[in-house]
Amino acid sequence: MPELVKVRPTKIELVKLKRRLSLAQRVQKIVKDRLSILTMEFLQTARDTLEAKKKLLDASSQLYRALSIAAGYHGYIAMGKELTATERDLKVAAGSRNIAGVRIPSFELTGDGKSLKGYSLADTSSWLDRAAQLSEECLKAAVELAELQRNFELLAMEINRTKRITNALEYVVIPGLQATISYLNMKFEERDREEKARLKRVKVLVARG
Amino acid sequence: MPGPLQNEAKQSPYERMLQECVRGELRIVNAGLPKNQERLSNLLNEKYPCLPCQDGSSHLFKKAELEYLASILDTDEQKALPLPMLIELGPNQAEAAVICEGTVEQKIVSRTLSMPVSCEERRIRIYKPQLALLRRKLRTTTVYVFSPKIVG
Repeated sequence: MPELVKVRPTKIELVKLKRRLSLAQRVQKIVKDRLSILTMEFLQTARDTLEAKKKLLDASSQLYRALSIAAGYHGYIAMGKELTATERDLKVAAGSRNIAGVRIPSFELTGDGKSLKGYSLADTSSWLDRAAQLSEECLKAAVELAELQRNFELLAMEINRTKRITNALEYVVIPGLQATISYLNMKFEERDREEKARLKRVKVLVARG
Repeated sequence: MPGPLQNEAKQSPYERMLQECVRGELRIVNAGLPKNQERLSNLLNEKYPCLPCQDGSSHLFKKAELEYLASILDTDEQKALPLPMLIELGPNQAEAAVICEGTVEQKIVSRTLSMPVSCEERRIRIYKPQLALLRRKLRTTTVYVFSPKIVG
């Protein structure tokens, strides 16, 4: 049975309670809408995360194979020498965006137009080109996965929080307010009946003289 | 059942917490909206395309998405398209509406969903599955707006 809200049994309190009930119902509507949007985004992010993970694993395994072949062709020392020259810092643009009140991070690998191929093309083979190309794909996939995974976690936490609020409104607050309103209504009706009975009694007494 | 009703001031901490949650909920749903919209043509020229939001954060656009939009539109349309596009969530939970200024948004939605859409009263009405598809392709160039009609 829902717990009654503790208020004084007056008409003003009844009006206040009715106002609170309508507010709670409106808020419930918003929260439910938000929950449905968050769930939709969560499912989409889950699907995308899975895809990104698969992409990263595929890219990594291909890259490993390509690097092994390149290392076999050039030798580790020669390849290491060529690749040391291509080392550069990675730039990731980080920002945020908002999904129905949840601020989630957004990352983007920003290259300055140059690819990772900074080595001498004359001294290297196409195996190394392939490895460089795959490593770029791998990096992109890793950044994408990082963003998606964080989004996934944040959305899940927010869904949990919103669900608790929805449940609290649906099963505690709104039933409590409705029960209190009906309790007050019954109390006022009872008061009216008592008043009517008292008036009848007084009338009888006055008639008797 | 508790006895005669007591003073409201003696609310349980649980109820107080719920009220706080409810207040917070109302505050945050639209807090992340960008303060203003920017034209696609301007955003394409920026190094880090982003817009300030009402809660002080910044909304970052993905270049890949901007380039996708640019590939659909011609130069004049790029100048006419305000971003981010607003997706209004109305009282009817089954559908949402993309708020549009002109026919550019209609063209984008139509091309992204691969189906014809119509614009009525500056709104393109779409259903939830289509919304998911649209959001998948245009993640940073669209934002949700919780319409006051929901609570009206």
